Order: sequence, then C-alpha cells, then structure tokens
Amino acid sequence: MSKEDVESGLTWEVKANSRHYHKHKQRKSFLCFTWGRYSDNVVRSHKYSLLTFLPLTLFEQFQRAANIYFLLMVVLQCVPAISSIPWYITIIPLLVVLSVRGLKDLASDMARRRCDSEINSRPCDVLVSQSFMTAQWKDVCVGDLLRIRRDQIIPADLLLLSSSEPHSLCYVETADIDGETNLKYRQALGATHNELTSHPSEEALGAFNGVVLCEEPNNRLYTFRGQLQWQGECFLLENEHVLLRGTVLRNTDFAYGLTIYTATGADTKILRNCGKLRAKRTQLEEVFNKVVIGIVLSVLLAALLLAIGAGVFSYQVMTQTSFLSALVVDGNPAYNGFLVYWSYIILLSPAMPIALYITFEVIHTIHSKFIGWDLEMYWKQTDKPAEARNTSLSEELGQVGYLLSDKTGTLTQNRLLLRQCCIAGQIYGKYDELCGTGSQAADYSVPMDLSWNPFSSGGLRMFSPTLVETLRGQRCPVTTQFLSALALCHTVMAEWKEGSPVYQAASPDEETLVGAARELGWVFLSRTRDFVVVSELGATRQYQLLALLDFTSKRRRMSVLVVRDPEGGLKLYCKGADVVILERLQKNCPHQTVLGNKVDGLNLFAEACLRTLCVAVRSVPEALWERWSETLALSAAMATCERDTLLEKLYDEMERDLLLLGVTAIEDRLQEGVPETIALLQEAGIRVWVLTGDKKETAVNIGYACRLLHPESRLLEWQELRSAFIHEILFCSRRQILQSADPQVSFFKAKQTELWATHKEMARAKTSVVLTGSELAEFEERPEWGASFMSLAEQCQSVLCCRVTPAQKAEIVKLVRKHTASITMSIGDGANDVNMIKTAHIGVGLAGREGGQAVHNADFAVSQFRFLQRLLLVHGRWSYRRISLFLRYFLFKTCGFALVHIWFGILNGFSAQSLYETWFIALYTVFYTAVPVMCMAFFEQDVSAESSLKFPELYKSGQKKELSSPRKLVTYLLYAVYMSLVLFFIPCGVFYNTAYDYQTMAVTVSMAATFAVTVEIVILTKYWTKFNIAALCVSVVMFFICTRITHSTRLFQSSPADYFFLGVSEKAFIDPVVWLTALLTAWTAVLPSVTFHAFNVILSVHNKHKAFIRKQILLEVELTSRFARGSSLRRSSYAISQGAGPGRLIHSATSIQRAEALKEEKVSTSKKVQNENGNG
Amino acid sequence: MVKEEQEESSNRPDNTAFTQQRLPAWQPILSASIVIPMFLLIGAAFIGVGVALFITSRDIQLQELDYTGDDSEHPCFKCRTNTEKCTCSMTFSIPTLFKGPVFFYYGLTNYFQNQRKYGASKDDNQLYGDLNYFTSPSTDCDPYTRDSKNMPIVPCGALANSMFNDTFTLSHTVNGVQKIVPLDGKGIAWWTDYNIKYRNPSITPLINAFNGTKKPTNWPKPIYELDTTDVYNNGFINQDFLVWMRRAALPDFRKLYRRITHDDYAAGLPAGNYTLTIAYNYPVHSFNGKKKVVLSNVSWMGGKNDFLGIAYIVVGSMCVVMSVVMLIVYARFKFAEDV
Repeated sequence: MSKEDVESGLTWEVKANSRHYHKHKQRKSFLCFTWGRYSDNVVRSHKYSLLTFLPLTLFEQFQRAANIYFLLMVVLQCVPAISSIPWYITIIPLLVVLSVRGLKDLASDMARRRCDSEINSRPCDVLVSQSFMTAQWKDVCVGDLLRIRRDQIIPADLLLLSSSEPHSLCYVETADIDGETNLKYRQALGATHNELTSHPSEEALGAFNGVVLCEEPNNRLYTFRGQLQWQGECFLLENEHVLLRGTVLRNTDFAYGLTIYTATGADTKILRNCGKLRAKRTQLEEVFNKVVIGIVLSVLLAALLLAIGAGVFSYQVMTQTSFLSALVVDGNPAYNGFLVYWSYIILLSPAMPIALYITFEVIHTIHSKFIGWDLEMYWKQTDKPAEARNTSLSEELGQVGYLLSDKTGTLTQNRLLLRQCCIAGQIYGKYDELCGTGSQAADYSVPMDLSWNPFSSGGLRMFSPTLVETLRGQRCPVTTQFLSALALCHTVMAEWKEGSPVYQAASPDEETLVGAARELGWVFLSRTRDFVVVSELGATRQYQLLALLDFTSKRRRMSVLVVRDPEGGLKLYCKGADVVILERLQKNCPHQTVLGNKVDGLNLFAEACLRTLCVAVRSVPEALWERWSETLALSAAMATCERDTLLEKLYDEMERDLLLLGVTAIEDRLQEGVPETIALLQEAGIRVWVLTGDKKETAVNIGYACRLLHPESRLLEWQELRSAFIHEILFCSRRQILQSADPQVSFFKAKQTELWATHKEMARAKTSVVLTGSELAEFEERPEWGASFMSLAEQCQSVLCCRVTPAQKAEIVKLVRKHTASITMSIGDGANDVNMIKTAHIGVGLAGREGGQAVHNADFAVSQFRFLQRLLLVHGRWSYRRISLFLRYFLFKTCGFALVHIWFGILNGFSAQSLYETWFIALYTVFYTAVPVMCMAFFEQDVSAESSLKFPELYKSGQKKELSSPRKLVTYLLYAVYMSLVLFFIPCGVFYNTAYDYQTMAVTVSMAATFAVTVEIVILTKYWTKFNIAALCVSVVMFFICTRITHSTRLFQSSPADYFFLGVSEKAFIDPVVWLTALLTAWTAVLPSVTFHAFNVILSVHNKHKAFIRKQILLEVELTSRFARGSSLRRSSYAISQGAGPGRLIHSATSIQRAEALKEEKVSTSKKVQNENGNG
Repeated sequence: MVKEEQEESSNRPDNTAFTQQRLPAWQPILSASIVIPMFLLIGAAFIGVGVALFITSRDIQLQELDYTGDDSEHPCFKCRTNTEKCTCSMTFSIPTLFKGPVFFYYGLTNYFQNQRKYGASKDDNQLYGDLNYFTSPSTDCDPYTRDSKNMPIVPCGALANSMFNDTFTLSHTVNGVQKIVPLDGKGIAWWTDYNIKYRNPSITPLINAFNGTKKPTNWPKPIYELDTTDVYNNGFINQDFLVWMRRAALPDFRKLYRRITHDDYAAGLPAGNYTLTIAYNYPVHSFNGKKKVVLSNVSWMGGKNDFLGIAYIVVGSMCVVMSVVMLIVYARFKFAEDV
C-alpha cells in the first residue's frame, strides 16, 4: 500500500538499550512523538473495567433495534397519561434480557482478562544493564533487548540481532499466526551477527546502540520495512529479520532481539491482525425479522384504528351527559385519541416478543454445542471434535441445496504418496512391475526391500525394483541427477530426532518428494543458509547453495543453484508444473525421444489420477553465474516494488536451456466414506458441485471415484453448453427451451438425439456438467447466461469445475446464490478455499493437514468429509425443524395473547384497558410458556439420527423451506389472530350480561390462553423427554401458583395499587363456569391446529409409508446396477492432489508472506498449465 | 504418548445421553386409529357437557324487568329525565313457584364500566383505609380528586362517584294486600373485598375520619352515611358500594342487589302478582343505557347462561363432524391403496 512512500514511511524510531529515551527524551526531541507512543507490553484485550462496564454494555445492547423498541415502551409507560400497564411490566423482562446478555459479555470479558493476565505474566529475559534478568512480558518496552530461549513464545515483535546458531539463523513456528506447522527461518543481519557473537554476548548486547527506523505499526504480517542505523552504517531490514509476537522459537538455543513493537495499543502485527468474524444472518432469521417488523407495523396500524375509535367514542361520550364524559382529557376527543394511540402501542407491544431474540440465541448456542458434542463427528486421529464456530447458523444446515466442495484435502486425504516416476523416458512404478501384476495388488501392500538404506523409514509406496537397481548400480547418470534434484531442490527443513532427520515442509508435495528420495538413498540431512547436506547412497556431500529461486504463483516453479562438490560445477535444479518446465527446455534437447516419452508419461499419469511435476537441470557456466549474481545483488538491494518484477526477469534468465530429468507422479487418496457421503447427500436432494484447481482429466476421474459422476453419465462440456446458450439467446422464440421448467429435455431435443426420448428423471441422473476455469471466465463475461446455466445445472446430477482459481470458486458460489434461492454450503480445507467459504451461506472448514486458514474463516469445522452426513442430515435437519417450530410457536403464543386487546377495545370504549392482570402479562412469556418451547427447541426429534441418515429424502423438506416459508409464518399469524378472537369472544359470550366482574373474566382469559398455548406445544412436540414433561407440568403449575401469589392478601397489603387482583383467583379457580369457559376457549382456540395435525397424521402415514417402500426398492435396484457397471479398469478409488509442489524460498523470509498465496495459486497454475499442455 | 492420550480424552466429547441427543423419550406415534376416536370422544364429551349445561341453564328461572322507561307507556317514563326524586312501580306476575334462593340483580347496558380511565379512577390505598390518602388522593382519581374548593374527595374517582343509587322494594300481592318481600343485603359482596381490600379507617366514630374531606359530587350523602344502622355495612365496606366498585367486564352487566332468603320466601317466590317499586335516581337516558331488574335463581353453574351450553354443543358437534370427515378421508385412502 504505502510502498510508494518508502522514504517517508519510516517514522517509527526505536533506540536500542535506552528505556530512558523512549520514556522521556523522545517527547522533547520530536514534537510528533508523544509520550504515549512507546508503551509497555501489556495486553489488554478486555473491553470493560469496573467503571466502564455498565455504560459500555448498555451502549452495545441498545444498538439492537429490539432493545431500543422496548426501552421506548418503558419510557412510554412512565408517562402517566398513556400508561395502560404499569412501567415495571416491560422493564422487568427488559432488565432480564439486558442482564443476561450483559453477564454473558462480562463472563467472556473476564475470561479474556484471565487469559490476558496469564499472558502478561509470562516470563522472559530482558537485558538490564548488561545482564539478563527474568521479567514478565508486560514489562517489556520498546528498545529492550530480549533473550528468547528454545521453545519460548516471543513476547513482542523483535528485530533479530543474533542467535546461538551459525549465521544467526533461527527457526520459528508460526502456527499461531497462519496455522501452518512447518518451521520458517529467520536470520539476523550479517553485521549484527558478526559484532554481537564475536564478543561475550551480554556486554556486546549491552553496548549495542543501533537505531531502528521503520514503519508505523501495521497489520501486514508478511512485510516489514525498516533500516538499522548502527556504527555509522545503514542496513536495510526486511521481514526475515523480524520475529513476530506469538511465534515460537524452535531448534535454536538462544536468540537475541530488539523490541520494536509492543503489545499495548496492539502495535504488534499479530494483534493488529485480529479480525472479526463477520456476522452472517440466516435466511430464516431474515424472514422472521421481516415478520416481526410486519407485526410491529400491524400493531401500529391497529393502534391507530383503535385510537380513531377512541376519538369517536370520546366525542360521543362528550355529547352525552354521561358518567364518562368528565374523563375525556381536556374535553378534546382528538387529543384523547392521540393518548390512547400510545396506550395501545404499549398494550400491544407484547405481540413483539422481547424474549424472542435472547431465547433464539440460547437455542442456537445449544444447537452448536450439540454439534461439538457429537461423538460421531469426533475424529480420533487428530483428537478434534466438530466445531460450530458461528453459532447462529445451525438451522441453515437443514436447508442446504448446493454443496460446493473443494477436492484436495476435502474429498481426498491430502496424504501424498509418490506412486510413479518417469526418468529419462523410463517409467518406474508401473503396475506391470508388481509381482502380482493383477490390479488387486495395486494397493501396494508389498513394500520394496529397502533395508540397505539406513535412513529408510518405510514410507515409500512406490514399487519399482528396477529403479532401485539402476540407482544402486549408478548406471544411469540421469537417474542419479534426478534423485539429487529431488534431494536438493526444495525448501524443506530437517530436524534431527533420535538420529534421523524429520522433515518439516510447507508443501506436502515437497515433503513427499524429499521423503521419497530419502527412501531411495538420497537423504537430505540438513541445511544452513548457504549449504545443503545430502547423503547420496551413504556418501555425505555438502552442496553450496548459491541461490534459491523462489516459487511464486506466477512462476509456478522453483529452482536451486548449487555448487557441486567436489567438481565445482554449478548446477541449477528446477522443478515445476509441466508446461512451465517444458517451454524452458533446451531447443535441441539431446533426449528428444525421451521428451516424447515423458510427455506420454505425463498423460499416462494424469489418466491414472496422479499429479505430476517436472524436474529439470541445467549446468551453469561460472561466468554466467558471476554476471547474474551481480545483477541479482544489485536488484535485491533495490527494495522497491520494481524489485519483484526485476527478480522475476532475472530468475527467468537463469531458468533456461533446461534438461529434462524426469517426471514425478504423486497420488492422493480419497478420504474415508467420501463416495457414500456424496451419494447420500445427492439422495437428500443436495446438488454437489466440485470446484477444483486440478486438470480436467484428474477431476473427472475423481468424480467417478467418489460417485459424483455415474459411470454411464453423460458429460456435458462447454462446447455443447455454449452452443445451447447461443442458440437460446439468438432464437428468443424458443426461449422457453431453457427458461421453462424443464430445460433439460428441450436442451437435449435441440442438441442430442440419443437422449431425446429419455425420461427427464433419467436424464437428470445421468448428466453432469464439466467446466474449466477458462471457460468459466468466458461465462462470466456473459452474465445473461447465468440464469440459463443455473436452470440447466439444476437438472443435472452434478457439476464439476476444474482449473478454477480461488476467486472463481467464490464467483461460482455467487452465481449459485444469485440464481437460486437455495442455501449454499462451501467446504474446503485450504487457504485457497477461504474465499468461497466466506462467500457461501455456510462455510465449512475441514480441519485437515493444510493450515488452519479455512477453519479460521469457516462457520463450522469438521475433521472428515463424511461428517457432513451427520452435520447436514442429522444436526441440520433437526436444527431447522426445531428452530422453525420454535419461531412460529413463539409468534403464535405472543401474538395470540396480545392481540386480544384489540377485540376487547371494541367493548370497552377503545380505552386501552388491559384484559389481563398486569402481572400475568409479565409472567406469561417468561414463566408460563417459555420453558416448554425451549425444551422442544433443544430436544425435538421427529425421526432418530439413524432414520435421518437412512431416509435422506426427509431432508428435502428443509430445502423447500416447508416449515419456515413466509406463507407458513403468515398462516401461523392468522392462526394467532384467530386464537385472540376466540380468547376474547367466547368468554365475552359467556360473561355478557352476567354478574361476573372484569377481574374474573381476566383470570378466565388468562387461564384459557395458558391452556391453549400449552395444548399447542403438546401438539408440536413429538419427542417427549423427561425435561419436556417436567417443563410442561412446571409451567402450568407455575401459572396457578403465581396467579395465586399475585392475588394474595399479603402482597395486596404491602402494595394495594399493584396487587389489586386480590382474591380473584381464589374465587375463580373454584368456579365451574370459569373452568368450563377456559377449557372451551382453549380447545376452540387450538381446534384448527389439532385438526390440521390430525389430518396430517391420517394423510401422511400413508405417504411416508409409500415413500419409504418405494425408496428401498429404488435403492436396491440402483445398488445392483452399480455393481454390474463397475469398471475395474478405471483406477477410480484414488484421487490425486492439485498442482505443483511450490518451491518456497528458504533463505528469504518472504516464504511466510506467500504462504497463502502459494496455496491459492497452486490450484490454478498447474491446472492451467496441464490443460494447455493437453490442448496443445 | 501418555500426553497424547490425555489430550485425546480432553477433547473427546462426553458420551452422555444428553450430549449425544439420545435422551430416552416417549414418542407418541399417532395414527388414524387413535386420532379419529379421539376426536369423536372429545366431541362427544363436549356435546355431553353442553347438553348438561344447556338443560341446567334452561331450568333456571329468570324474570327480567326493564324499567328504564324509554317507552312513553311505561310507568317509569316520567322519571326518565326527572332529576328530582322520583318513584315508579311495575307489576309483574310469576306463574309458578320461583324456586329459591332467588337473587335480585340490577342490570345496566351500554355502560362502560370497563373503560380504562374510569376503572382506574379510584385510589386503592384510600379505600384500604389509609388516612394519608384521605387528604391527598391519588391523581388517578382526576378529575374527581378534589372538589371546586380544592377539598379532597373521599372516596375519590369516577368509579365511586358514579355509584348506582336506585333502590328497589319488591312486594307480593297476597289476597289483594301488598306484602313486602324481605331483601337480604348481607354477603352480596366478595369476602375478600369486604374483609381485606376495603377497610374503614380505624377511627370511631367513622365520621371523624372524614374530617376535611368531601363526598363525591354525585352522591346525595357521604360514604359514612351509606348505612347508618349497621357499622359493618357502612363506609367503605358498605355492600352496595363494594358491589359497585367491582367493575363489570363488559358494557352490559348485572350486579347483585339483594338475595331473597328470608321468611316465607326462603323457598322461593310463590306464584302470584308482584310489584316492584323503584326509587329512580340513576340517569342512563343520556347515553342510551338501559336499567333492568333481574330475578333469578341459580344452579351449580351459577346464573342462567345459555351461551356456554350452546357453545359446548357447537364445538363438540364440530369435533364429531371432523372425525366423520377424517374417517371418510381415511377410508378413501385405504380404499385407494388396496386397489
């Protein structure tokens, strides 16, 4: 961003070993630096203090419209002229809601506080007057020199000065920052290294008086710009010189650093990076919010009508000499109506349930907990249960219509194995090399005998005795070079454990290749900045590492330039995606035929679902190297944005005239249960799309392997689609073809004759669309095709998009979101899926082997793809059902109860007289009706988990939004209106023209309302746990007890004006008419619901029965046919991983910077490359 | 290794019925064979209750006399607009014995005692006998808090001010002689009202408590003179006052005036001619209200109430009809399936 103003940007000044300077001097010498600029290292992530808690939490909570609304109600109620119910009736629930949320916030804040203080009191060594003292993290200041020991966490952003390792290298683990577990390394400036390690450390460090000028604190984790002024010289500082807070020092005994940024004020880069998860709202919630707004508006309208009524009534009363006329305020009917308007708003406000949002949140939280608690989604190997990171989406899991999945690491295990390789035209590891030769032996259960190799740890899954023979006999120099290339050209780190090296790599591909080379005798032992030590068949050799040509997504390759001891010749080893390497080969390649074979090999491997990488070498003349390295040094010092392009050009010059050595083929297995899961989800009506960066052939093969594609399904490719679209657009008269409900049939009519007659269902089952990234790009240029494409895709079994970039993945998700009303779900495991995970309604991160980026950005995290079955079909389905039932029941119970006042208004002169005792209004939503519905929302199961999985079509009701459509909600609202009518008019009929008083009627209606909503919940609940039963009983009993209490003598005596219903329930509860009326009213109120459910029972028993039978028959048929069709030739049980293994620049700290970018590009690059190759 | 295992157990979810959502539960499986009989049964039960209520209600005798006097032929017509004291009398006959105990109600129509402002226009603390509120009544009572001389009104408020003040005498014509039917005014108010909710200040004589207060403007006499014969029926605990203060639910209502439980009439009103003499004070003409006197006896379900019985029968019949419809639907389904 601010690269342009490099010079002016370096305004952050840090003087080593001068606390004084930072605390006092600074302020005087520089006006722009205030005293507060350099602070201590105390983390204060808590929001509240004793004083600020109340105002802050209130401020936060009153940003919600609902709370404001209720606050308004409370305020209105305090105005005596309009107060239709006492002020405390609303303020109590409001206070409960506010305090519940406040306490929740406070609890999490306390947790943060504890966590902070734990972090702040961590020990670290600070240099104080020439000796290191143990201090706490919070005492660290800018300018302090710190000593970090092995495995210590780094307390602040440090400038690395020196370390105990040679060349002042030091290794850090950045798992806390980017989720990657591989080690990165950092290196001190040569100058500081030399000075500070040659003398006794502490003295030298104490005397260190460099001044660092650098950028202001920012959140760019992977860049750092600055300079060190020391001993009259100026050194450029880069990211590789900086140790970030939160990283862990590994493999290094000591490292000394100068504190640059401290934590307070969140100056450190990691703290500047703590983004917030953006809030996603579920569709259901949105619909519901609309309904709530609708209710509020209706209430306002009703209040208006009632107010008009009140005005008219007042006018009439005034013209009469009535007992009421004196009550018309100021003798002004209009003013009276105005006051009544507000009174009615207050009186009807319970129709918009205050407790709803908080209850809703509690339910969501519990549902998320259930997901985390599920043992069936707990993955033992990694000890990870499923996790709902976003707790408010659980019901959308039950409505997913489109599942967009990444392939690598998601469908496949991302456990890469070198299966075959092709060296100098000879393919090793082919099936015919296996003793069994039958395809059954292809599971590689017989390992090769590698006992001759002391470094072998048995990880090789390639069976090729010929290769081993060739290697051991040193018969073929190309083969030897190939292995050397594998052992040298990479960015892997070796860590020695129990006498053997353990490899740490950012790219699983590299780890695999280096591991394979090790099995075959070329063992990568260790590396320093300038040397790589390799044991070649037992002979240890040290290669001087002259240059490491970084992997970038653009370059799609990496190289190392080494001096080969003892010959002294310079070699460039290069590996990369096939297209990139092939175009850089020597013009007159001496192995022309070999090349041909290799390309053959490439195709062969691709067909076998293996991922390929080309390995090449170049002998570099000494003169060229010298010239080149000079330019390199020059341009490296430029430190501007042009440097990157310049470097790229330079690298490009070097990576020329390559000699192809061979091709590697890596395989990635499918995860357990993937085909079954995909089949199940498809049966559940979910359209599964796979978006991958892989090339088309691989993707299609994997599609077959995981049953995404049927063996005999027809693949629709771009050419066909395109012509169909053009066709459609040109001949608008035939628009109905694609836009009609059944574009599929007509599409075939136009394009394909062989399927012309096929039944539409059949056609759907057998058609899949396969697209590639470049085709998609064309597609995006013509947005008018989107709708057609989606309507077509809806008819297809599946859609497969290959060679797509992360951005395109997100584009596809957007396309689906735009053209369908369905819920989309994205699942992926890598940084390249983050985009699509964020774009979809629901993002699922697979806690796989790639870094935690996906999980960090996801709404849900699971460990295995097959856990989706349970997540969607069981938890999602239940959740959707529970929440839908909960919402509509909640609406019903609050509206039905509150709207009674509208009808009562007609018979009380529109005076906003409440039909209930005020205490009943307050307690009704909280004590009498809330718990049973919450129990239902927690425990409801219409069918068991097993049945949910057994009958996936049950899931379809969620996709069709059967339970939560706006129509359904409106129906329920009408039902609530009906209930309110019944609740008023039946008691009204009974009590009309009798001696029963108002208070008895109030108790009767309350009783009827309580009974009615209780019966309704009984009807809705299908799963009666002991909690449900207890909640129900307690609620009803509570009604009687609380009513008796609020009508008791004692309370009346303490406050006659508040408990004026004295003695009513005592009398009413033994009056048969009251009971008979309440029962009749309640039953009449729920009669529609009861009848509806009864009809449902009668009709659905048959339907379900039939559906299940039909389904089972279908299943059997399908299964048998599948077996018959099974193709043994296709090695479809295996899948390969995506693009080329990236070279990561080892001796440049930029490796971390590109960690994500790398992964993202990987996909696109190798795809493109390989496809172009294929097309060419 | 050990550490790993420990970690494993720490992340592993608990295997309990609750966390695994396997709580033992009762899942009632409804089928047509339960639902249809259930509907039938409930319908039958409702019809049964309805019929019982209806018969009970039908057996309750009721004599209603409208004495508003809107009709110019009516004996009370003269009193209708008369603001002075006025008495009128109506005669009626009872063909058969009116079984006792007979309840004597007065009824009003189009009278919005349930109007919010009207209902709230009283001071519960004052009525509870709290002397503090005698001198400064609650503003709820506005505009009946103070009179024009700014003297506090006790009992304040519109509700008390508008107390019904017609009085009735019922006489039985026996052999041409008018015999007064004794009316019992004891215990017509709620026990809680009489004993707890309304209290006279504990000052004797009662009149002293009302020093410095005024009677409600519409009242002919102050509250402490409502029944000077009986201290337990005077002041705030006057039964008629209590009955009036218990607001009606709906604009058409009755209130208990007296019971007929004494002497010859304990068993009821014998057949014969009766005369009702009304001291006509209460104006209802201006708001098109009606005044009625209702004589009724009661059953276990209280007064006459045809609505409840009919409503039960209607709802019960709906259930029965519904069950028949369900049966038909069910049968057609079954039939269709068998085919």
